[in-house]
Amino acid sequence: MLSRVANLIYWMARYLERAENTARIVDVNTQLVLDLQSRQAADDPRSWMPLVYVSGGDKQYQKLHGADITERAVVDFMLFDRDHHSSMVSCVSSARENARCIRDQLASEVWEQLNSLYLKLREDDYTRYAQLGASEYTMRVQTQIQLIYGIAESMLPRNEMWWFFELGWHLERADNTSRIIDVKYYTLLPSLEAVGSALDIVQWAAVLRTCSAFEAFRKSRRGQLNLEPVVDYLLRDESFPRSVLYSIRQGGMALDCITTEAPHLADNPAQTLITKLHEALDQTVVREKIVSGLHEYVDQVQLDVAAIHAAVQKTFINYSTDGAKLLN
Amino acid sequence: MKCSRPKVSRAPITSAWPSASRWLENLRELLRRQLLAEQTFLRRGVTFTVYSDDRGTEKIFPFDLIPRIIPASEWAHLEAGLTQRMTALNLFLADIYGEQRIQREGIIPREMVESSKHFRPEMMGIAAPRGLFVHINGSDLVRDEHGVDHVLEDNLRTPSGVSYVLENRQVMKRVFPNLVRDYRVRPVETYPNDLLALLMHLAPEHVPDPTVVLLTPGVFNSAYFEHSFLARQMGIEIVEGSDLVVENDRVYMRRTDGLAPVHVIYRRIDDDFLDPTVFRADSLLGVPGLVEACRKGNVALCNPIGTGVADDKAMDYYVPRMIRFYLGQDAILPNVETFLSSDLKDLSYILEHLPKLVVESVNEAGGYGMLVGPHSTKVQIEEFRAMIIDHPRNFVAQPTLGLSRCPSVCSEQLEGRHIDLRPSILNGETIKIMPGGLTRVALR
Repeated sequence: MLSRVANLIYWMARYLERAENTARIVDVNTQLVLDLQSRQAADDPRSWMPLVYVSGGDKQYQKLHGADITERAVVDFMLFDRDHHSSMVSCVSSARENARCIRDQLASEVWEQLNSLYLKLREDDYTRYAQLGASEYTMRVQTQIQLIYGIAESMLPRNEMWWFFELGWHLERADNTSRIIDVKYYTLLPSLEAVGSALDIVQWAAVLRTCSAFEAFRKSRRGQLNLEPVVDYLLRDESFPRSVLYSIRQGGMALDCITTEAPHLADNPAQTLITKLHEALDQTVVREKIVSGLHEYVDQVQLDVAAIHAAVQKTFINYSTDGAKLLN
Repeated sequence: MKCSRPKVSRAPITSAWPSASRWLENLRELLRRQLLAEQTFLRRGVTFTVYSDDRGTEKIFPFDLIPRIIPASEWAHLEAGLTQRMTALNLFLADIYGEQRIQREGIIPREMVESSKHFRPEMMGIAAPRGLFVHINGSDLVRDEHGVDHVLEDNLRTPSGVSYVLENRQVMKRVFPNLVRDYRVRPVETYPNDLLALLMHLAPEHVPDPTVVLLTPGVFNSAYFEHSFLARQMGIEIVEGSDLVVENDRVYMRRTDGLAPVHVIYRRIDDDFLDPTVFRADSLLGVPGLVEACRKGNVALCNPIGTGVADDKAMDYYVPRMIRFYLGQDAILPNVETFLSSDLKDLSYILEHLPKLVVESVNEAGGYGMLVGPHSTKVQIEEFRAMIIDHPRNFVAQPTLGLSRCPSVCSEQLEGRHIDLRPSILNGETIKIMPGGLTRVALR
């Protein structure tokens, strides 16, 4: 498959997953703020800034809004701002642009669903979001995106195109789930004693719900709804499809399928890095990471994912032509 | 004057129309079927991109339901004429990039060839694969008031339109199955096969299993639908310039598993943009080193570089002389009467009769740089007069023709509209002409 086409499908999947998780991140913060119960805290602009930090967009936010932090400005930035390249609308629009370029090679149903989502989102803005309420609005967008995955999963042949779709999809999800954990980290509890309090528990429940993981967590019999078991579940669960470890494993399987087609690329750097990250996650003891700094830990996970991405690009997409394998 | 409304085949209501004229009378039924046809196009995504529309909406290609019927006898005449023309044009291109006999013997002035914008001295003396200097031509034909077919111009660079013919036929079969059967319409569906066979034929001879690709400027090009349609029909990869690299004068495409060799490129990019190291240095669409790979015979381009010199409108004027010179025959299909402003006698005629003539720029296609005398203001005519005097080589003039008309569905009624015909001529192992063509209908 052409490298350009592989890259388009890979990024299409990443953008879609990022759009979905951006909606989830906005939703989780809304829940966290609601649960703070005290009006004062809920109106505190600092309750909204974590969103901007975890999405990595703080520099751009400052450029666009300066020091002006309000719920409206932050939600607008995260969901509807076209000048912010990771906003939900920008992500859907980029995914759609990629799909347009390879329309003739995608199932037409995938293109049509993505295109109609794009057309629908163009009409949306903060007013519409506020009318429906955060949960309802973000849920609708998530469902639309899930629909695209569903169609892709049942329509795309399992060839390289699909494996690159899967690879982008799962790498992005691994990154994004780690960021959702980080939102809670940034959310200030009223005092240190509040760790483990009713409020803390309610907040962890909200984080799980945002990842569609609440019931699954309960059924996994991991016990109490607090920091360690919840973080362990979202980071390391073997069977939950949005956990970081699961996503990395799926991404690794996609990479194996891609490599099987090209035996001379066996043991490429991307595969090595993804195996390494999988092992590291597998051996992680969350309790220790909490002590040494959870935020620093998830930051490192994100850097590891970024390194895998860079290796994928260098191995399959924009490799140097000097010394590249000449096929027959 | 010319607008893009393709139809399937041709002719006014004449003897060719016994049973067809019967259903023409049932207008309501006809309009219903027109709607059905348009829906089919939309669903199949037979669209073109509107450049000015940032919403990414694409328009369906307007389609006139009433077929143009060409009787077999008339087609045989066109086929013979187009075959003769293609043969002569191939010999002409071989000659001007080789021995240059036609200039030396004074049949065509040397400066006429060398001043052509599309003449590529870089291609002098290069062997063409299988001796073929041009592979695809889409000649535009018109018919005058006496029923005589004329060649308006040739399109020897990257002619488009054939995908619409094929899609139109699919729709016609769906909308008027009986008509297609009763008229025993000759199939056009073998075109992609014939094109692929031609492309394979051009591959370097030592390559047992050659790879053919279609090179497109990209998804934003107005003809992208056709590019992706033909690539899909032929089962070949559609590539952009950035997908191709040249290593050791061989062309490869960047695949995820490495660099895969490419032997034949059906390019839908003009010469100017093909290779920034040889032609326009600012081109991002092309492939550095492609021309050298071509010179070495490691890759074949279809059409080859430099064919545009023969579709220069001033050069078209000389085609009947080429036919006489190379084949010793008279042209079966006459040209539309043409005056060259680079010829002193013709120039004074043109300047005297400007309000009655159609003036065209020699290098443009698609109606750009054109003056239609009878429909122009005094100011426009004077503007062209000045341009012609400044750059006589850049213009030709033709009398306005009483073009033949064909009934067309116009909003809610039938009207006679002027039409042309663009058949598609392939020059491979033999010359093959798809039995049909794109007919464009003047919207006014």
